[in-house]
Amino acid sequence: MAEDQTGPATASELPPDTIAAVDGAGPSRHVPAEPPRPSVGLPLRQQLKHQPAAPQARVHDITEKFTKASSALNVGQLVKDEFFTLFESIGALEIMDPKMDSGFLQPGEALEDACDTVAPLLPEELIGILDQLLCYEMAWHTGYPLSQTLFTSVYIDRLLWPEPRTLEQAQFYRGPIPDERRPGLMLEVLRSYCLALVKCCDFVIAKITGRDYFEEEDFCTHTYSRVLFTQMPMDVFQRELDAAIERLQDGTEMEIDPTVRDAIIARLNFRKDFLSALDLECSLDFIDRYWPPVIANLDPINTTHQLGKAVPGAFSFKIQRRLASTVPPRPTVELDFSDAFSKLKQLCTDGEEAVRVMSLDPDPLEYQSFLWAFASRKPTPLPYSRSYLCTLLFQESSVSIPLSDLKSLVFPCSTILDPSNWALSPPRNPMMPKPHRLRLAHLIDEFVERAGQAYLDFWTALGQNRCRLRRMLNHVIIGWDQLQHDAGFVDDDLMRVVGEMGIQDQVIPFPLTTWTYHKKLWMIEKIVLLGFEQDIYLPDEYAGMYLFLSSVSRRRNALLQTVLDHFHDRRSALLHSDAHADAQEVQDGAQYITSLLHEASGIRDLSLALSGFYTTLLYLRLIPRPTRPFSTPQLRDELRMKPFLTLTPQEMFPFPDLQAQILPYGAYDAPDSRLWEDLRGEEYWRDIEGHIKGAKEAFAQVKKLGAKAARAGGVEGAWGKEVQGVLASCVALGVEVAGVRRAVGWGEGGEGEVRTKVKVEIPGEGGRYSGGWVVGRVGRL
Amino acid sequence: MENAEATAWLSQFVGKNLRIHTSDERVFGGQMKCTDKDRNIILALAYEYRAPPEDVIRKAVEDSGNPSAPVTWSSRYVGLVVVPGGHIKKIEFEENGTGKSGIIL
Repeated sequence: MAEDQTGPATASELPPDTIAAVDGAGPSRHVPAEPPRPSVGLPLRQQLKHQPAAPQARVHDITEKFTKASSALNVGQLVKDEFFTLFESIGALEIMDPKMDSGFLQPGEALEDACDTVAPLLPEELIGILDQLLCYEMAWHTGYPLSQTLFTSVYIDRLLWPEPRTLEQAQFYRGPIPDERRPGLMLEVLRSYCLALVKCCDFVIAKITGRDYFEEEDFCTHTYSRVLFTQMPMDVFQRELDAAIERLQDGTEMEIDPTVRDAIIARLNFRKDFLSALDLECSLDFIDRYWPPVIANLDPINTTHQLGKAVPGAFSFKIQRRLASTVPPRPTVELDFSDAFSKLKQLCTDGEEAVRVMSLDPDPLEYQSFLWAFASRKPTPLPYSRSYLCTLLFQESSVSIPLSDLKSLVFPCSTILDPSNWALSPPRNPMMPKPHRLRLAHLIDEFVERAGQAYLDFWTALGQNRCRLRRMLNHVIIGWDQLQHDAGFVDDDLMRVVGEMGIQDQVIPFPLTTWTYHKKLWMIEKIVLLGFEQDIYLPDEYAGMYLFLSSVSRRRNALLQTVLDHFHDRRSALLHSDAHADAQEVQDGAQYITSLLHEASGIRDLSLALSGFYTTLLYLRLIPRPTRPFSTPQLRDELRMKPFLTLTPQEMFPFPDLQAQILPYGAYDAPDSRLWEDLRGEEYWRDIEGHIKGAKEAFAQVKKLGAKAARAGGVEGAWGKEVQGVLASCVALGVEVAGVRRAVGWGEGGEGEVRTKVKVEIPGEGGRYSGGWVVGRVGRL
Repeated sequence: MENAEATAWLSQFVGKNLRIHTSDERVFGGQMKCTDKDRNIILALAYEYRAPPEDVIRKAVEDSGNPSAPVTWSSRYVGLVVVPGGHIKKIEFEENGTGKSGIIL
């Protein structure tokens, strides 16, 4: 809505003098009586509608009486709206305060920087401006608002304001212009580039806001009521670019150095391809053809950047004063060209990678692995890339996603998911019992529908950056916990039908609960591992958190063991009945379960080993323990376990149990005498080393089974790297444990002496083989 | 004016549209939310209006030959603002079209 336009229309409709004539009160010269319409913040891509003119307002001058009345108030007395709170008032911008009021002018200061947008430009200056625009565009992509980036361009401002009705009107000047002042070739080129750039922004905003979930904190979609050519189709922008390229290539209008000319053309070509790649309606059949040409255009831009000449006057901080803005004035965001360029490159390669999702096997587990790998990319994909991937992903909905996930985990070649179940029709007589298979189909439908939202939430979380992924999973597991509860009821019904059909031996007990619980446990593991990756936990909490992780994966492991047994039973049963094709399918399915099983036992063993390692370090006092005068261990434990407190079954250790496990020898400051006996003995270390060995073997098995078995075939490279990283962590832990053990041998006189010999360093994220597996480095002093 | 009377009179304008002219020749139009002894006024959903620079006005007058030629003020949404009493030059009350606001001026 054109809420902040008091364009000529309004002004001519209501000349100020008429207002005065109507009410006879003090005239309000020049101020159009347009009632403010509170519409800022609404999606700005809405259709522009003209609202019916409001009835004419009458204006009364109340200055004198108001002044008198307010001076009669007591000190500290407020006359206010009863719902208006102090908290709200803090957010008010103070007018005439230079720090708060973006419209404030210093004495003698002009509202705008004088910049003649139709003054001729040199080709080198054009390159300078184009590259600077690119820097601002990328700064915007990384989360800064348009007002501090692209909207500081006086050229873009001229194109967008006053709002043009047609593309023809979007010029660097408005109204008639003498022929000798008409913009030359360079300005026309700049105009075509700017138009396409603005359209790119429009596409980006539409794509990001089109997702179910996005955060303004990552990306600012505010357009300050400027309309970014939302209504205009993409091809007109491409035609403008084509025309510009043609005129440059023609070369008769202006003498330009060929290298400079080629540099400009490269930028225009890039913009053209980039615009097509961002197009909201780009064809899915050729989706893999959009990004490669964009990427091919990048290098010529980078190598010719130095040809450009900066034009500082083309950008002005003061444009903010004219933008609808409820925030204080903020400085322009300066991003170096090299940084901007690497962001751009990242955006393009992430786009190219995201497109690969279309070529994956249509299997939700493959998609899940892809999402996970995409979120793990370094550097973290930009918000646009994530929205781009999710848009592609959620278009694919021909397969019922929870259904095929269910099939992979708990229903190998099962009667329950036999498609013919859905083909049966209910008996004509409603009093007659429905066929068993139809009842199965209904129960599964009921569950799949119920699971839909939880599944969508899970994927939405996977589509976020890693930090938010961890936080969102904390909420997602609550939904899955509820789902698990509900699954129990459906399972009861399902088992009853199965019992009536006499096929109990073909179905794993409580299949839906098993499936839901497995997913939930997987998420809890990821939450804890992401917590380590993001340094949420302090080193003295590592022992407890890894212990918790091991208990979660122990449960997952047990669950998977029953599933695998079921797969084996099914296979032998099928072989008995000579259903060899089905038996083969079950066996293939069992690969996935085996891979999961090994992974779970690897996580269990490695985290157990790490827990033991860190407990030892705590007793040796090689890990700093900050003094925390205002909390108790129990409260801290409760805080860490907060996301898991409400889960059923209970996943966390009761506090006394936890204490018993991480403090086996009493307080770290005053351990009992058995500690040193044990530390010098074999058995203590044999335990830890046994776990490391177990973990190493388990992950080696996972690796051997391969990405395909883990249903990560589409991201084999990333998956392999992740597994390799964990394996390397196992090896590193073995080395460090040996180091501690040696140090204990030297420390004849107790932990004090050990501390004089060795120190422990906790590696930062870059220094780890795998983000979630923190292996402290033991070094000699 | 007595305190009670003043409070009652001012309270009438809470939630009503005011236009506040500031010392730097801008005008803020919005809903009054709060005021105090120093005549500081908080406006919600406010717009800022600003006259065009002098040379633009002069040009408009010259071009049309009409000394009261209309010119376009620029306006923008600024949301919740507090206008300090010291910078207020004029306060206007904007009555809605029906004229039945029941406010005692």
